[in-house]
Amino acid sequence: MMSQWITLLQKELVEMWRNFKWLWVPITFILLGVKEPLTSYYMQPILDALGGLPKGAVIKLPEPSAAEVLVEGLSSYTSIGVLIIVLTTMGIIAGERKSGVAAMILVKPVSFISYVTAKWMGGLILLVFSFFIGYLATWYYTGILFEWISFGDFLHSFLLYSLWLGLILTFTVFCSSLFLVPGTAGFISIATVLIYTLISGTLTKWMKWSPSMLTDYANQLLAGQSLPTAANPAAAITVTATIILLTLSVVVFRKKELAA
Amino acid sequence: MNQIEGINIAVLAPVLIINLILIIVAVIDLVRVENTRGPKWLWALIILFVNLIGPILYFIVGRRNN
Repeated sequence: MMSQWITLLQKELVEMWRNFKWLWVPITFILLGVKEPLTSYYMQPILDALGGLPKGAVIKLPEPSAAEVLVEGLSSYTSIGVLIIVLTTMGIIAGERKSGVAAMILVKPVSFISYVTAKWMGGLILLVFSFFIGYLATWYYTGILFEWISFGDFLHSFLLYSLWLGLILTFTVFCSSLFLVPGTAGFISIATVLIYTLISGTLTKWMKWSPSMLTDYANQLLAGQSLPTAANPAAAITVTATIILLTLSVVVFRKKELAA
Repeated sequence: MNQIEGINIAVLAPVLIINLILIIVAVIDLVRVENTRGPKWLWALIILFVNLIGPILYFIVGRRNN
C-alpha cells in the first residue's frame, strides 16, 4: 500500500518535471514577490529618469517600511499566486479522467485513496516549494533594499500563508474530482475562494477562526505586533478543513469512477 | 532612454537572469511539444515579446498536456 503510494507520487513528480513545472512555477513565484521590493525601492529613480514631471514639481514618495513591502509582496501570492495554483491544479483529476488515463491506471489494483492523495501530495509539494523559494527571495530583497525582518518571523508567516494556500489547493483538487471539466473546476474554485475571502474579510468579528484570516494574522506578525490568540484555532480549523476536503475528494472520485 | 541613476545592476542581475531562464525554458518546451492550443508561431511571439507574463501564459494556457 505504502510503496504503491510512493510509486504514484514519484510518477506525479516526474510528470511535473517533464512539463517543466519544477522550473516555471518557482520562477514565477520568485518574480511575483520580488517585483514588490524592487519597484518600491526604485520608484524614485524611475520617476526621475522618465522625467515626465515639470521642473520644480518634486514628488517625494514616502518610503514604505520593510514590513509593508513584504506584506505587499505576499499579497501577490494570495491574488495572482492563487490564480496560478488553481489553473495548474484544476485538471489534476478532471483532466486525466477526461482523457481516460485515470480509468487505465485504476484498472490495475490501485486504490482510490492512493490515487487521489498521491496527486494531491504532488501538487502540495510543488506549491510549498515554489512559495518558499519565492517568498525567501522576496524576504531577501526586502532585507537588502529596506530592513531585515527576522528569519523567525519569516518562517512563521510562511507557515501561516502555506496553510491557507494549501487549503485552496485542496479545494481545487476536490472540485477537480467533483466536476468532469477542468475549466468548470477552476472557475468554481476561484469563485468560491473569492467570495469566501470577501465574506470573511467583511465579517471579521464572526470569522476570527476563519482560515482566510491566517494571512491577516501573519501580516500583523510581520508588522511587529504579537500574533492574535485566534491564530492557533484558525490554523487548527484550516488543517481540519484540508483533511475533510481531501477525504471528500476521495469519496466523490470513487463514487464517480464506480458509476462510470 | 536616459540613464537611470542609482540602480545597482548587481541587485537586478539575478532577477533578469531567472526571467531569461523562464523565457528559454518556455521556448525549449514550445519546440519540443507536438501541438499547442492555437498556432505555435503566435506562442513564440508571445513568449519572446510579452515580458514576464508571456512565458507564464504559455505554460498555463498554451500547453496541451499529454
